[in-house]
Amino acid sequence: METHAAANAPLERKGRMAVFWRKHFWGLLFLLPAFIIFILFLWVPIVKGFVYSFYHIDFVKGNSFVGFDNYKVALHDGDAWTAVKNTVYYMFLCLVIGFWIPIVFAIAISELRRFQGIVRVAAYLPNIIPVVVLYGLWRWFYDPVGPINGVITGWFGNEPIAFMTDTNWSMISLVIMESWQQFGSAMLIYLAAVLSIPRDWYEAAEIDGAGVWNRIRHITLPSIKGLLGLLLILQLIGTSQGYQSQLAMLDGGPNNATLTYALLIVKYAFNQQNYGVAAALGVLMFIVLGLLAIVQYRLQGKEGDVR
Amino acid sequence: MKQMDRGILSSFDLKKKPVLIGYSIMVLVLVVMSCSMLYPILTTFFNGLKTNVEVNSFPPRFLPSEWHFDNYDKGWNFIDLPEFLRNTLYIFGGNLVITVVVLGLASFSLSRLHVPKRKAVYFFFMMTLFIPPTTYIIPNFVNLKDLGLMNSFAAFWLPAGANAFFLLLLKNFFDEIHYEIFEAARIDGASDYRSFVQIALPLSVPIFSTLAIFIFSSSWNDWFWPSLIMHNDSHYPLATAIYKYVINARGLALNIRFAILTMVMIPPIVVFLVFQKYIMRGLHLGGVKG
Repeated sequence: METHAAANAPLERKGRMAVFWRKHFWGLLFLLPAFIIFILFLWVPIVKGFVYSFYHIDFVKGNSFVGFDNYKVALHDGDAWTAVKNTVYYMFLCLVIGFWIPIVFAIAISELRRFQGIVRVAAYLPNIIPVVVLYGLWRWFYDPVGPINGVITGWFGNEPIAFMTDTNWSMISLVIMESWQQFGSAMLIYLAAVLSIPRDWYEAAEIDGAGVWNRIRHITLPSIKGLLGLLLILQLIGTSQGYQSQLAMLDGGPNNATLTYALLIVKYAFNQQNYGVAAALGVLMFIVLGLLAIVQYRLQGKEGDVR
Repeated sequence: MKQMDRGILSSFDLKKKPVLIGYSIMVLVLVVMSCSMLYPILTTFFNGLKTNVEVNSFPPRFLPSEWHFDNYDKGWNFIDLPEFLRNTLYIFGGNLVITVVVLGLASFSLSRLHVPKRKAVYFFFMMTLFIPPTTYIIPNFVNLKDLGLMNSFAAFWLPAGANAFFLLLLKNFFDEIHYEIFEAARIDGASDYRSFVQIALPLSVPIFSTLAIFIFSSSWNDWFWPSLIMHNDSHYPLATAIYKYVINARGLALNIRFAILTMVMIPPIVVFLVFQKYIMRGLHLGGVKG
């Protein structure tokens, strides 16, 4: 609003308000429901998370202020540090086992001249199946007398592996299961990027005498570099919050070997009814992940429109 | 996919021995990969047809020796699948309606109408994308409890409208519709409301189908959150019920369990095969957002 209109303000303001409302009425009205819902179901919980972390939550007697006690409990809990270690280990395993598979398969599938569609659908199929079905399925796969151990003992004559109950194996087993289940969607994203690389670049490289490996190394990989970085950050953010398969398959066991940080939050809240400490753990996680998200945003901004 | 005359490899490359061997190995690996994707699905199906003794035999066999279709009948009667299915469809339908109405209106407004401080408003919505959901899962639960939404479908329907990612997809879609169409409607005397209902909505059927797929898969998949919100059988969606009564059941014969799992698995696969086009595009949109 301009300032020189201050002389006959009341009349002008009334007129301007009318203009404002005539111009913006529908726009604001259309935004109103979304405003209310975003505040009620996203912003209020987010803000309440910070508030609750300073309170002892009691649904019956009411909440009471406890200062930093929740944080003290959280930081002095040995399980919390185990959970941090497990989460980092889980993120690491997801990188080592899960990150490169979609890239390799995307490049391989892009080279298929026939049946590309069928292979793509096959690779994406596990994403379609409800996860609860997969939990049931993989529990049977990993069973000491399941099909995988059938192959290990029958074909190779080795001792059966206790995939679920051996603390060295349990997290790895979960990561293998998740990688199998999820690689299809990342693969399709990479595949679209690989297929959009102009074919004549390869032609030119071949005429210049570049071998197959050099073409992949110097043309294909640099072309999808932006996407690689983006999906890497997204995977890190995603896996740092993972808890559902750990909860469903093993409930954090055996001996806390698959207790991730997010699972600890859930357990504090719903097993011990200690919502205050759970909220405090959430705030601590928010601070760490917030930094990661900022890095991602900067990266995305630098790459521009990543396709 | 269109036929290409060359990829990374040219037809000339394939005449060289080492490349040809490498290519064959690659094709072999892809075949193995495809089989390892199909194997679990078929195993589930065939295990549902075996006798319980045969499922538990070691080492397991792939094909059943006798075909017991009555397992499916027993599985159907083991838990009240239609009721849980109805609950899942309730959640799916309500979520879809809320998404279309709330986010459709908001994104149309942000994209096409006069909004004061548009940048700030947009930021208000998009900021929520940067806050990881797990960090506020507990306050979210307590918040729903405070609002008195426990054990009600509204606890799923209303928060479905608070999805910044869908808002982003919708807004991008509306941005790409030609402005002339709305201008023409304006000249013909259509109000903002009418141009939304009669022009924007019909034009955005493809994006809403993509969103419908996303919503379908999340309401079909989500088992943990409903198990916290809902308290009795008449409200559990299918995934939660399967997890509680089938996956964690003691003393449920394995073959019956696999029969139930097969029945739960087939509808999403059918939906996928029918709506493949929209799903692939949805993935692409997801990829652009990153």
